[in-house]
Amino acid sequence: MTQAFLSIRNVEKYFSAVKAVDDVSLDIRENEFFALLGASGSGKTTLLRMLAGFESLSGGDILIEGSSIANMQPNQRPVNLMFQSYALFPHMTVAQNIAYGLEMEKLPKAEITERVNAILDVIQLSHLAKRKPDQLSGGQRQRVALARALVKRPKVLLLDEPLGALDKKLRSEMQLELKRLQHEFGITFIMVTHDQEEALVMADRIAIMRDGALLQVGSPKDIYELPGSRYAADFIGVMNFLKVKRTDNGFAAPDGTAIATAHVSDGVGEGDAIAAVRPERLFLGDAGDNHFDGTVSDIAYHGLDLLLHVETELSDTPVVARMTADVADNHRPEIGQRITLGWLARDTHIFPA
Amino acid sequence: MTTDRRPLLLMTPALLWLTALMVIPCALILVLAFFRRGIYGGIEYTWTLENLALVFDPLYFRIFLKSAGIAGLSAAIACVLGYAAAYAIAAMPRRRQPTLLFFAVLPFWSNYLVRTYAWIVLLNREGLIVNIARWLGYNGELPSMLYTEQTVIVGLVYNYLPFVILACYAPLSRMNPEVTEASRDLGASAWTTFRRITLPMTVPGIATGFVFVFVLSIGNFVTPALLGGGQFQMIGNLVYAQFLTANDWPFGAALSMVLILVMLGLLMAQAVVAERASNGKGQSDG
Repeated sequence: MTQAFLSIRNVEKYFSAVKAVDDVSLDIRENEFFALLGASGSGKTTLLRMLAGFESLSGGDILIEGSSIANMQPNQRPVNLMFQSYALFPHMTVAQNIAYGLEMEKLPKAEITERVNAILDVIQLSHLAKRKPDQLSGGQRQRVALARALVKRPKVLLLDEPLGALDKKLRSEMQLELKRLQHEFGITFIMVTHDQEEALVMADRIAIMRDGALLQVGSPKDIYELPGSRYAADFIGVMNFLKVKRTDNGFAAPDGTAIATAHVSDGVGEGDAIAAVRPERLFLGDAGDNHFDGTVSDIAYHGLDLLLHVETELSDTPVVARMTADVADNHRPEIGQRITLGWLARDTHIFPA
Repeated sequence: MTTDRRPLLLMTPALLWLTALMVIPCALILVLAFFRRGIYGGIEYTWTLENLALVFDPLYFRIFLKSAGIAGLSAAIACVLGYAAAYAIAAMPRRRQPTLLFFAVLPFWSNYLVRTYAWIVLLNREGLIVNIARWLGYNGELPSMLYTEQTVIVGLVYNYLPFVILACYAPLSRMNPEVTEASRDLGASAWTTFRRITLPMTVPGIATGFVFVFVLSIGNFVTPALLGGGQFQMIGNLVYAQFLTANDWPFGAALSMVLILVMLGLLMAQAVVAERASNGKGQSDG
């Protein structure tokens, strides 16, 4: 087994009596784009700040290429952080902001100028080098903050909600831009985000955090298609939860119809359980391994697709089914209509109730 | 289209007040400075520039320079002490800062004269400090602590320190903590971070504090009169003496005029610094 590039070992953080990070162990590979995903208060930002050196460790260790950085000051770590507020220096120009970190390394003036100009080119802001941060748009500031951290060529770049302050259109542009820069620079990125879509699009691997602990670690595809818990299933994307019961030979809906499944999670006992299925895995008709009847209560048109809200005895809230545009064109159901929805056993996940 | 007159209406009482009690007296002083002194005091209404010339006479100009020196030193000391105190307060947990600020400005709630007299009680030959020294067993000669230039500076710094604390606290408390963290993250030591980030970002507060203390000190006459004991004069005492003892109102007016011009110049410089600073920030607070 090769040594992990960045190794987080049994890391804990207490704020007085409150446990903010609970025994987290993670191995992150070189050049990986890694996302820490969680709701607010999940401990993801505290963990990131521990990597940067702004929070001490209550327990455990952090190693980069085998040597511990746990007791190093923030200014000594081969790690840079892009702050959520960008934290640009308001009294310095764009070029001065970017040069600052290189000046701290006591590099020759000529090299600093060269590297600053090169990175200004990459982020396409050369023409704004002499502007002050408050003369820039939000997207431009974001790119300056990124350049200021990247120009130091850190071993690991930490990003705290990097796209949080941008509007929706700019955000999706920058998602791809960040990925491109990460490939280009060949630097390990660790990003904190509460936005599951952002994590799915950008990251090579995702760790879902909850109450300071790791809930699940995996590729976006694994996390989305094989959620390890009801919380993870609910947190990532949209998921329908159906009431089922354990029977002698499997699971069944309240009316006794058998529910076939390929994924039963740990901790499912006797009696009640929850079956989960994604909206895009449901289809019209009774083909497939499982099916149920329901009444269409609402139809939401999204252009590319159509979301049916279906009331059924299997769930207290309406089940959401996603129809592609062509299905909708051919057999578009109407509100109030009784329909049958089917799905496959391999798309069915059973969790404890 | 009619303009809204309500703002003007609201400003009128204050404007009248300022005109009656500030603009008119200042104008009188200005005019007075260009008249001749009467033989038995009083004013002779013939134009002259003699009073102004006399201000720059070495005898009097020295007092001007001396006053500026004392005011400058007091302002500098107050800035160092005040900035340190403001920095410490701003570094405290948010909920405790109002209490600390309250204590910092508490002296303002008592009378200026009383506070200055208190120093006499502390520092005189039979005062508290001498008594403590005796009680501790020191029987030797003690340097005179009252009626010296140093005493005046101590008094001025003491009196105006709260201004500096408040002026420096404002920009320090507004700083986004992520900005100093970013400096550390980019490889700067704590000291470099202070020197290159915190200090430049809070210079407007220091400038405001310095100008306030300087302006209030250079024209001050209570503190030099009480703590200086008439041993030496500052420009305020000279003006006071011209009006009330020497009965030379035109020369007093000329001295006042130059003093006011110096103060105005400094306040304007301070306003320019503050203005430039407010143009150069704003990203950190969105």
